[in-house]
Amino acid sequence: MIKFVGVSKKYKNDIIAVSNINFTIDSGEFVFLVGPSGAGKSTILKLLLREEIPTTGSIFVDKKDITKLKRKEVPYLRRNIGVVFQDFKLLPNKTVYENIAFALQIVEAEPKYIRRRVPMVLSLVGLSDRANSYPQQLSGGEQQRVSIARAIVNEPSILVADEPTGNLDPDTSWEIVKLLSEINKRGTTVIMSTHAKDIVDSMKKRVIALEKGNIVRDEMRGVYGYEA
Amino acid sequence: MRLNTAAYYIREGLTNVRRNRAMTVASITSVTAALLILGLFLIIILNVDSMANQVESQLELKAFINDNYDMSKVTKVGEEIKAISGVKSITFESKKDALNNFKKQLGDKSYLVNGLENDNPMPQSFIVKVTDANMMKQVSEEIKKIDGVTQVSYGQDVVDKLLGIIKIIRIVGLFVILILFIISVVIISNTIKLGVFSRRREINIMKYIGATDWFIRWPFLVEGIVLGLVGSVLAIGILGFIYGYASDLVNNKLIIFTLLPAGVVIRQSLVYFLAIGSLIGALGSGISIKRFLNV
Repeated sequence: MIKFVGVSKKYKNDIIAVSNINFTIDSGEFVFLVGPSGAGKSTILKLLLREEIPTTGSIFVDKKDITKLKRKEVPYLRRNIGVVFQDFKLLPNKTVYENIAFALQIVEAEPKYIRRRVPMVLSLVGLSDRANSYPQQLSGGEQQRVSIARAIVNEPSILVADEPTGNLDPDTSWEIVKLLSEINKRGTTVIMSTHAKDIVDSMKKRVIALEKGNIVRDEMRGVYGYEA
Repeated sequence: MRLNTAAYYIREGLTNVRRNRAMTVASITSVTAALLILGLFLIIILNVDSMANQVESQLELKAFINDNYDMSKVTKVGEEIKAISGVKSITFESKKDALNNFKKQLGDKSYLVNGLENDNPMPQSFIVKVTDANMMKQVSEEIKKIDGVTQVSYGQDVVDKLLGIIKIIRIVGLFVILILFIISVVIISNTIKLGVFSRRREINIMKYIGATDWFIRWPFLVEGIVLGLVGSVLAIGILGFIYGYASDLVNNKLIIFTLLPAGVVIRQSLVYFLAIGSLIGALGSGISIKRFLNV
């Protein structure tokens, strides 16, 4: 469960990124975060990952106020939140397999477990045959699948996707969203920020719409926007 | 820490060492240079120390007797010396004995004094052993007062001079070593910085997927420590080689003092060298990773 309570973030240059944000996301939900560039979507995700600390307000992840975490507790929060980025952020000098295994090495998993777990996740994202390829040998959609596999290999309870389809063509975007939806059906909470109107509209999931740092709409089975 | 995690740190650290070859060479060279200078001062200090000990441990002084005194007068002086408190024993060394002893000291170069037997320039003397090193000065003052004693010499002045030299060497050495230490730390820190910089993307990703600060830090620490250790091992090797050669040379030519054997010196400094080398490395890398960890 994720809960934002009166969260505001003002950056050093006095730009107010978000102001007085309140929402609750239950375990197992699938939520779209929509709004124009600069509306505060990325800031909310950064706050959730504790990349930023709010100026005021509290953020709860599983009943724990993450704004009060000590520096050395942050890695353990992040192990519970998988992240997928628009630019994939894969390591170019590691193979697909190694990129995913890396996420397990970091949490000091047993080599035996790593050898069993990585193929499982690869098959889940449909890339079993690309295990030994390097990222630059893959298409954008395949790279994003690898990054999703890396995000979920630790079995986090939350998956955050920051415009995961931003660099992909419409068909590939759909495959990625279906994959995220599949992961959501297995019980993982998914929060996805996006500009992809048609995807949001046809998925009929919860939509939190932001504008100028405020929540302007929060609907179950929502759409991207009325005016567009 | 799990074994395979430790293996990961070492593997990654060594990869870094290989990756920035030019800077690796620069770092190792600077550590080696710093430790060579350190070793040089250390060797000088150890040797001067041992010289001072050699002199001090003899605990004896020499009272030179007027050349014109005959045996009966000399014996009388001897009695007087014996009566001074703090004197343990006295031995008479005649002019002939003195010359023979000098010859012995010269060893195979004793031919230098051949022909002096008939016009012996060596003085007759009493070698006075003292019960306590601290009594040396006092006893020598007393002996000086006796008629017929021309001069009293003992090792103390030499010891004092040696101790003075050690003091200066220590201060100069410490200063030079400190500067070289700082230079080495800065060079290593720059080397590591290159590694950190070329891996900043990787570090960023590691932070996102929940790596702890120490997980990210260790490979760079390993890199720094490896650089420091390699530098110190090289320094030890070079120093041992040169010193071994030099001490052979000196010990064959110099008669008065012997240099400490190379093995002893190297063994005494080995642990310090390795410790200082890894400290330089760890400090260097510690400084440069710090600010890259904030993501």
